[in-house]
Amino acid sequence: MAGSALRRLMAEYKQLTLDPPEGIVAGPISEDNFFEWEALIAGPEGTCFEGGVFPARLVFPPDYPLSPPKMKFTCDMFHPNIFADGRVCISILHAPGDDPMGYELSAERWSPVQSVEKILLSVVSMLAEPNDESGANVDAAIMWRERRDEFNAIARRLVRKTLGLPP
Amino acid sequence: MQLLLSSVCMALTSAVIGNAYYQKQQFYPAVVYITKSNASMAVIYIQFFVIVFMFGKLLRKIFLGTLRAAEFEHLLERFWYALTETCLAFTVFRDDFNPRFVALFTVLLFLKSFHWLAEERVDFMERSPVLGWLFHIRVGSLLTMLGILDYVLLIHAYNSTLVRGPTVQLVFGFEYAILLTVIASTAIKYVLHAAEMRTDTPWENKAVFLLYTELVIGLIKVVLYILFVVIMAKIYALPMFVFRPMFFTIRNFRKALNDVIMSRRAIRNMNTLYPDATPEELRQSDNICIICREDMVNHSKKLPCGHIFHTTCLRSWFQRQQTCPTCRLNILRTPAVNSTAMPRAGDEAANAGPAAAGAQPAGGVPAPAPAAGADGNQARVNGPLPGGQALPPSFADLFGDATGLPNGLPNLAGLSMPPPPAMPMLSPFMMPPQFGYFSPLPPPPIPLDLTKFTVEELRAMEGHQREQIEQRLKLLQNINLMLDSAGIMMSQYQSLASRLQLTAVPPVSAAAGSASAPANAESAVSESGVYDKPSTSATAMAQLEAHQVTPTTTAAVAPPLPAEKVTIEDLGADADEDDVPSTATEAVSLPNSDADFEENSSELGELRKRRLKFLEERNKFTNERTTAE
Repeated sequence: MAGSALRRLMAEYKQLTLDPPEGIVAGPISEDNFFEWEALIAGPEGTCFEGGVFPARLVFPPDYPLSPPKMKFTCDMFHPNIFADGRVCISILHAPGDDPMGYELSAERWSPVQSVEKILLSVVSMLAEPNDESGANVDAAIMWRERRDEFNAIARRLVRKTLGLPP
Repeated sequence: MQLLLSSVCMALTSAVIGNAYYQKQQFYPAVVYITKSNASMAVIYIQFFVIVFMFGKLLRKIFLGTLRAAEFEHLLERFWYALTETCLAFTVFRDDFNPRFVALFTVLLFLKSFHWLAEERVDFMERSPVLGWLFHIRVGSLLTMLGILDYVLLIHAYNSTLVRGPTVQLVFGFEYAILLTVIASTAIKYVLHAAEMRTDTPWENKAVFLLYTELVIGLIKVVLYILFVVIMAKIYALPMFVFRPMFFTIRNFRKALNDVIMSRRAIRNMNTLYPDATPEELRQSDNICIICREDMVNHSKKLPCGHIFHTTCLRSWFQRQQTCPTCRLNILRTPAVNSTAMPRAGDEAANAGPAAAGAQPAGGVPAPAPAAGADGNQARVNGPLPGGQALPPSFADLFGDATGLPNGLPNLAGLSMPPPPAMPMLSPFMMPPQFGYFSPLPPPPIPLDLTKFTVEELRAMEGHQREQIEQRLKLLQNINLMLDSAGIMMSQYQSLASRLQLTAVPPVSAAAGSASAPANAESAVSESGVYDKPSTSATAMAQLEAHQVTPTTTAAVAPPLPAEKVTIEDLGADADEDDVPSTATEAVSLPNSDADFEENSSELGELRKRRLKFLEERNKFTNERTTAE
């Protein structure tokens, strides 16, 4: 019998494969290591990220699901809640103890009942509705709040880039 | 890259050696030449390190195979830290700095890296989906080899310190002792992981064993580090180079200690505060522990908020957080009274079944045993109060009694007076099939003296969980239903009595007249009662269906119509001679004497009075309950 973290990840992988949510594909990079996943997230329709397919990498801790995984976009992203290096900053990925931004309610933090699917769905909704209170990318937050057109233009350029199209 | 470097190094070394031979032509002068020349020595040293590196690679290939990216990363990181610490150690022992000294430190670093790798490998066991026999052979032999080497080198260091006094061997002795503890903890972890892999079910206590292993090894390490620092500070200087590892060791030890404390607390809380989930509760929920996403077959706990998880999953979560994983209810803050003793005691009662129910009457209040035993859920919700003091009548008792109302009546009547001859005849009317289900034991005394209890006791009895409130509502509905059905029966009695009076009163003697006078007065009322009857019974039936009372209960109310025939058969033996559109059953009447009939009618009056009284009491009690709530 393998460890509980591994069994849980296998169960989640199975569930995600059998019943994938719309616009999300996720799975381990290699079957030898279930603790590193790759996810492809389609930009939500009706937003500036529409049409894009954004690759991301999820790294799970050995004590998953007691601790949250880390998520990082592997493509260029410009978003108020994504650090310049691609790390995603949403409350569901933060353990209840630490509060890097000091504004999150404990009710929306990580708990073992969360799952990869819920994380990815939260990321999709984060793409659709950025939280400009978070300072993961202050430039993006300010631009999103004050110069939405410019923000949308950058986002559309990123979308074309992820699809391998000329800007 | 590595290949290029090592081949360059090889070329350099052969160039140096070749040059020496070319110049000196003989072995000894050549060696002297090389050792005299600094440049040559540098080349030789580098060659030495390259050989060590290649040897390390070879060993790694043998014992570990290819390294994972994470393993390599960690190895590099730790290696650089270890290297800087070694350089710091050199400053303390700068007096006896010589090639042998460097070689010893190289060996130490070399062994250390293998210890780290072995540790990583064993930690990764839990996370790898498949492990072949090769893995076990590799890890087993690596651990044995490292353990033996550590031990030999430790003994060597110890002996040389004893013989030559404190030298640099002190450092090595201490380092190897630390490495020995690392090997010990790695071996224990390996054994635990391997043991878990052999079984098909998750080994629940493994986490606890791991915690205690961490704690003990951490303690040994901390003691070793402190001893070493004290000894070194006395003999040489403050050993700066162990401060970093010592700091990490102490931090890990603190974490392990904290984990153990939290784990113990979590276990204690779970054992005392939260009840085990019953099979029914597991059936009701979707039976999947949402923490590990696996079926809950056994060992699951129910939190005060009603969420159910595996005991082990909860324990590991409570080590971090004392909240419900689903609703984040802070479980330590919820009142303990309804979640602690009561459900637990209830569980016991449910498990013990009739035995526990049989024990209850001894506590002062007689309880209908099957009612408590048959429905574990009921009993569980309404477990006795903690402390086992004179058991307050629990809901189960009341409920059982309320549902058993129809058969409670004849008993009540039978208690105070000798069973009248008509009673056995009446029994089919009074005792519906439900009888078999609910207990024939004497029902508990109905006027419950709630004033005897303190407010806390009442609160505790009440319970505030959803289940209990549901149960309470159900009970009230049932009482309501019983009252309705009793009303129906009453009206039937009355209609019967009026019919009796219409027909039987004239021939009855004066003695019977006194008894029938009030009955006569009531006959007018009974007229309306007769009209009422269909509607009330219809509503009662509707209610029955709405509340999904068991078919047996339905049957309890259903009999009135056939029963009517029976009673007429019994009572109206003489009546059918005189009059009345008679039914087929009436025609097949029993030849009863007049005296019998008189007795019957007075009996009926008596019974009616009792019934009214009973209903009054019942009403009063219902009111009490509602006001108490």
